[in-house]
This record gives sequence, structure tokens and C-alpha cells, in this order.
Amino acid sequence: MPRLSLYRPNRTNDYQFLDRTIAEMYTVGGLDIFCHKYLGPQGAGTDNGNNDATIPNYSSTNPLFIEDLLLLENRDRVYDPDVFIMRGVYRQQDIDFDLSQFGLFLNNDTIFITFHYNTMIDFFGRKLMSGDVLEFPNLKDYNPLDTSIPRALPRYYVIQDAAFAQEGFSQTWLPHLWRVKATPLVNAQEYSQIMNQPFEPENIWDNGNFYPGNTIVNDGNSYYKAAGNVPPGTGITDVNPSTGLPYWTPITNPTTVGDAQSTRPKDLELNDAILTQAYNDVPLSGYDNVKFYVVPTNAAGEPSDGATTTSSTVVSSSSDEPINGITPNGFGYLAGYLTGGTNTPNGLPVTPGVSFPPNPAVGDYCFRLDYFPNRLFRYNGAAWKAISDNVRTDLDLATGALTQRASFVNNTYTVSTTDQGNIPSRQSLSQILQPNADNGNQGGNITPANPRPPGR
Amino acid sequence: MQFARIFSNFEVEFGTNEAGQGPGSTADTLVRVPVRYGDASRQAQTILQNNSASSMPATPLMTFYITDLKYDRPRIQDPTFVNTIQVRQRTYDSTTGTYETTQGNAFSIDRLMPVPYEATIKLDIWTSNTNQKMQLLEQILVLFNPSLEIQSTDNFIDWTSLTVLYLDNVNWSSRTVPVGTENPIDIATLTFKLPIWLTSPAKVKKLGVIERIIASVYDAQGDLNNALTNSDLLLGTRQVFTPFGYQVLLLDNKLQALRSDNIVDQPNASLTPPDSPDTNLMWHDIINMYGTLRPGISYVNLQQPDGTDVSGTVAYDPTDDRFLLFTVNSGTVPANTLAPVDAVIDPLVSGPGAGLIAPAAGQRYLLTEDTGSYDNPAGDNPTAWTGINGQPLVAHTNDIIEYDGNSWTIAFDSTSSPNNMQYVTNITTEIQYRWTGNMWVKSYQGLYPGGSWSLVI
Repeated sequence: MPRLSLYRPNRTNDYQFLDRTIAEMYTVGGLDIFCHKYLGPQGAGTDNGNNDATIPNYSSTNPLFIEDLLLLENRDRVYDPDVFIMRGVYRQQDIDFDLSQFGLFLNNDTIFITFHYNTMIDFFGRKLMSGDVLEFPNLKDYNPLDTSIPRALPRYYVIQDAAFAQEGFSQTWLPHLWRVKATPLVNAQEYSQIMNQPFEPENIWDNGNFYPGNTIVNDGNSYYKAAGNVPPGTGITDVNPSTGLPYWTPITNPTTVGDAQSTRPKDLELNDAILTQAYNDVPLSGYDNVKFYVVPTNAAGEPSDGATTTSSTVVSSSSDEPINGITPNGFGYLAGYLTGGTNTPNGLPVTPGVSFPPNPAVGDYCFRLDYFPNRLFRYNGAAWKAISDNVRTDLDLATGALTQRASFVNNTYTVSTTDQGNIPSRQSLSQILQPNADNGNQGGNITPANPRPPGR
Repeated sequence: MQFARIFSNFEVEFGTNEAGQGPGSTADTLVRVPVRYGDASRQAQTILQNNSASSMPATPLMTFYITDLKYDRPRIQDPTFVNTIQVRQRTYDSTTGTYETTQGNAFSIDRLMPVPYEATIKLDIWTSNTNQKMQLLEQILVLFNPSLEIQSTDNFIDWTSLTVLYLDNVNWSSRTVPVGTENPIDIATLTFKLPIWLTSPAKVKKLGVIERIIASVYDAQGDLNNALTNSDLLLGTRQVFTPFGYQVLLLDNKLQALRSDNIVDQPNASLTPPDSPDTNLMWHDIINMYGTLRPGISYVNLQQPDGTDVSGTVAYDPTDDRFLLFTVNSGTVPANTLAPVDAVIDPLVSGPGAGLIAPAAGQRYLLTEDTGSYDNPAGDNPTAWTGINGQPLVAHTNDIIEYDGNSWTIAFDSTSSPNNMQYVTNITTEIQYRWTGNMWVKSYQGLYPGGSWSLVI
């Protein structure tokens, strides 16, 4: 008589019996979980001009690939456009919003889900792994604070860890369950393919019925929106005979899952509000002296304003005698650190140009645009005297700003060459002047060229 | 605010090639990194998350928050120091919202020494992968070598607005290395030090007075040490002057500005009105230094020898900018103590019916010369002036004589009034005179040197 043993080294009928029973238990007692299958890192397709050996140029997607062999991370992930539905079981728990330093997540919202192993392999084609995204239809939020959101918000989780579940081993010592540890999904680069999907209104498709108006469908790489009810079997380019208009209207920037469901749009709004006020407070570097008045003075330093009514001669001049007065001959007490701008003292008229105007009158101003920085001159009857430089500058992204950040970092200029087209002026110091394919993408053969203005 | 601005608009590149695009994609995959305050209230954060557990945080993201604020003792300066600046504004057109080219208000602004503090601000950089973090850090860290200038405002008067932001520390990652059982968002933390100034409100005052400045700290040679050593302070060596040392000359109802070296042909002691000197000093030029003259409201104070002021409202003379039209406040003018005189005359040159009108009761004249003398032999005294009992009048310089219908009598005897303060008005010239005890001088008309007049606009 063979000795008694429940252990089976192979998947015998005992195992099959137990496995089918367990699968049925999951079918009966589990819930549908939508699984977004990770397919592999985004391939660059044709030659991407990148000679970095640590970032291979994959021609296909494969979960065996790793995008960055140095940092060992897959940043640009491809997910199967088809969503797999599997039954799973997890234990419910209460969650708290944690706002501690790193607590913009739901910190304790880590759940453990078990799936029937063989069903998973049959449906999914492989084991669930870290990076697969799960969607829980039972956790949809039908009542977010923003009632204009057109449909319930699904709850996404991403798998962090996966292994056999300890409770899934049967008497045969063979596993039947696959346990995954999942945390809430973050709108991040890794999941951009999921986040960039259109956030469609809820539509329960009834086969053979029509597409309701505003339905969004995908055709190739383009999205279309139904202008009205669309009968089944209608082509994407078909025209509605009753209206003479296409059934489907292309949409280029549909509201995405990331837009509707993540905090990123609001984060950007907050940032924009801060920037608006910051710009109002400090539109340019330095100090604003436009609102202040400068008293014109004569050579003795006495106030002198030729614009006033008088019965006597205010200014007498000869061609070789510089004249002060009439207009301020400088910014006086308003001069200081970074106070020079495009304004004249007291906002008096100025002639901008790249040369001095002919036949100037005493007290005229000229703003020379060919100086870097631009320079303000005043004519005193004998000579044009420089009185101010336009040193106040934009603090943000303007390429013409007089900051080193603009000059070195936000540098969009190109340099022409005799053999490589126009190369970018901004180059990595470690690879500077190397004839690499980078030129072809960023600067080479740019038409027209974007040369750096004189003085910049 | 400006701290957030420094770190705003950074971008990271999504995608698999150096152009930032995946295959077949034409979309720009440079992604802007938002910056927001990190210490949100629970309610605000709940609103941001739509009050939904389905709401997802997003990366990349930067958040900032203050972790420390302490008094910066090494930067302490005189806490009681008050700095005063005078500024003139251009006229503001509220309709167009622009500044005009003319002068508007003028202010004197007192600024109390601000209080130095040092704030510690942390910036969390939330990223989902190392590449993303490196992209951001290589953009940010090159800006701090070791600091970046930062302004809270571009207000010219705000002396606390400019400071620098120091990068003090970099915490590379909030995660354990190697990664544990989860793959949380990675947070790199940059710690910044920001020396700032907290300031009390400034004191704004209207700059409307051409002040007489009493410099009692320095002696006449501008020497502080000598002034202290010699106890010159407050002992009569105080200097009083007006900006540029300008004088003013009041003639009738016109006030002329004169430079300090201008000469007036008739001194105040003379009873003869002076001629207006030729100058090109314009009132608009002077007043524009201080503000805008309000005709009929702005006024001038003229300091009298007895310490009182004669005041009057002023307005620009529309025909000649060298003059202000001066409307004296009669309440500030000394009251006449004597009945007005008809004229100031030389009795040896003019007489009733001889250069003057025929005598009539009540006529009064102020004499600039003696007439008659008891020492003269009989019949040698001038007969133009008939005194009591038909005798020739004997009167002295500075006497006021009056005709009573029959004869001329001495109404004010200058020889018997040596210490008597008297005022009388010449109704021909409208000039009031003051008796000093030994001579008549103009009462308030005449020249006021720098330091003895002031303008309130």
C-alpha cells in the first residue's frame, strides 16, 4: 500500500479539482477588476539619433526590455489598449487622507488582492507584475465635489509587488492564488498612456444600437466625437444625409483621464495664480521709477523748467555751450541699482532708433536700440549725453532677457557652420562641438537660422 | 511668491528619443512642472482632490514651505534709525491709468529700520523616476552658486525688497536605497536660506513746505566738533536758510523770487518802494520741486523781526512767472496804531498847493525831512507849512503832521517816541510802515532773505 501523502509533485486530478473549485469560488465571490497590461517600454522605432548604449533602441515592445540600463527604470511604458477583466478578492479597509509632508497620497491605502492563478494565466497571458495597473469598478466615485465631471471617477491602483498568496496553497502544496500588492496610481510619466486616454462620458454600449451624441471613439491615433446619435455601422468619415455634416468630428485635445482625475490641472492653476501675482509685484528686475518726477535743473543745480510761462528769457544758448534745464538731464535721485529702463525722466517723449535723429532740439531724448543694453541719450545742445541704460529685464522665460539664465539656459539661437548646417548655440559642455546626430534634431539645417543678435 | 516664481516653468522631457517624442508622436512632450505651496490646509487639499479618493496626485511636482524663521542677530543695525526720503510723483491720470509728464504730489517718507530675519524654506521635488529628478536638478542647481538674487517688489522706495536666496542643503531622496517593497514617489528636498527684512509701515507725509532749515548741530563753519566744544549750540549761532538761499521781494501784491546774490535798490529801511530786479528765476521752477501750487490755497509766511508771521495766499501771475500774486491775510498784518497818512513827502520840496493839493482838514503827511527850526531867525522858516497861530510849522524828519482846518500840527512826534512801536499806512502806496524807535521802515513789504520766509503749498 502506498504511503499516504497529500503532496503531489505534479498537477494531478486532485490539483485540478481543487483549482476548479477555487476558480469557481472566485467567480462566485470575487469582483471584476479591470487590468491594464504592461507590454514593455516605449520603443523609439526608427533611429532616434541617440547613441547612448544604456538606452537601447528597441524596435518592439516587450516586457523583458528595460528602457534605461543605467538607472534601471522604465519611464515610458506601453499598456495594452485592451483591458482585461478578472475576478479578484481583497479585504476592504478604511482609509485616511494623509496630508503630512509626503502625504498627498492616501498613504495607508495599500491593498492586497488575490487572483486565481490559472484563470489569470489564461486571461492575461502572464502573471500580474509590478507596473500593471488595476481599475476597481466597485470603488467608482459617482459624487466627486466637481459635479460637472461627466462620469464617475474610477479608482486606479498600480501593482507594486506580486507573489503567490500564502492562503492559496492547497493540500497538494501547490499554489492556486496570485497575490498582488497595489497602491493608488499617480499621474506620472510612467502611466501617461493611461492618463492620456480621453475621459469619455459614461456609455453602456448596446450592441446593434446607436452611439449617443458626444460619444468619443478612437480610430487609429485619432479621436472623434459624435456630433449626434450615430447609427451602427457608420464609417468614421460618413456624412449624415439629413444634416449634410459628418457624423464624427475630430478632436485634437480631448479631456483626458489625467485632466479629469488628477490634481495636475489644479496644480498648474495654482502655479499660474502665483506667477500672475509675482509678475504683478515684480514685472522686471530692479526698481520702477516711472511714477516719480524729476525736476529739471540748470548747470548751477537750480530748478529750471523752460516749459513754464515767462516774460523773460529762460535759456540762452550758443552752439558750443551745453544746456541743461528744460528737460531733466538725468534721473537724479531716482538713479540706483537696476533702475534703468525704457522710460525717460518724467515720461517725456523719446525717439527710439538705431541712430540719432537729425536736427535735435535742446533737451530731446533718443533711445538707441543698437546698444546692448539699449541706451538713453539726451541732447544738451552740443552733444548727446548718455543718461541711462535699459538694464531692467524680464525674469522669466524671455530669450531676450538680460540674465545669464536666459543667455545660457533659455538659449534658442543657432550658429551657422559650413558643413553641418546650423548647430545649436546651447550645447552640453561634455559633448560640445562634436558632430553628432543631435544637430539634425535640434539645430542642424534649421531654416531659417536663428543667429544670436549682436551683443547677446 | 517670488520664491515660487524662481522654480516655475521648469520642464521635463517625456519620451524615448532626444526630441522628446515617441514613435509616431508629433506632440511636444516637454512637460511643465507646477510649483505650489506644500502646507495646504486639509480642506483646501480636499477641494483640490475633488473630495474623492479616486483623485490622483501628479508628478512631477514641486512644493515649498517654510520650516524655520529666526531673528538674524548678526545683521542687526541701529533699531531706532529712521531714514527719510523725499519723492515727487508724476501726475496720475486716473481716466487713462497713466502718469503724465507734470509733477503731482510730493511726499516725505520716513522708513524705520527693518528687522532682520532668516527664513528657511524647503523645496520638495516630486518625481516618479530618477531621470526626471536629474533633469530638474540639473536645471535648478546651476542657478545657485551659491545664491540667487530675489526681489519681493520693484517698488523704488521699498528698501527691504532685495535679498538673496542661498541653497543650503540638498537631500537627494526620501526613499530608501535600494528601493523596498514599494515604489513611492521620490522626493528630493532642497533647503534654502533666505535673509529677509520685516518692516513696520512707513510714515508718509506731504512734502509741501519750503522749509526754513535751522541747523543747530554744526557751527557756522560746518564744524561739529567746534560747535560742541565751544557750546555754540543754541547760543545764537543757529543758521537759518532756505533751499538755494532764495530771497523773496514783496512789492504791493506781488512776490518775486530772487537769488541770494540779487541786489534790491531800496532796502527795507527805505520808505521808497524798490524796483523789481531783473531776474529769470521762475516760480514754477521753484514750486515744482515741492509739488503743485494750489492758487488761493497755498500760502506764504513772511517772518517779521518781532517773530510773528505775515501770511497771504498766493497764485501764479499769469503774465509773468517771476511773480506770485500775494493776497495778504489781513488778520496777520499788524494793526495800524496811527491814522493813515496821505503821502510820504519831503516838506522842503513839496507843500500844500505846491506839488500837493490844497490843504484840507484831516490831511496827514509823513515827513522825510525837517521843516522849520526854533533856532532859525524870525522869518527864515518855510512859510508853506502854517502852524498854530499862523506861525511857520516846525517839524522833524519822521514826524507825521496833520491839517486841522486852520493850521498844520504834529500828530506824531518822532522825537518823543523813541521806544514806541507804531504802525501807519500810506494810503497812496498802500504800504504800511513801522516805527522802529528812531525811523520808519516798511512794515512787511520789502525783501525777505533766505530763511525768513516759507511757502506752504
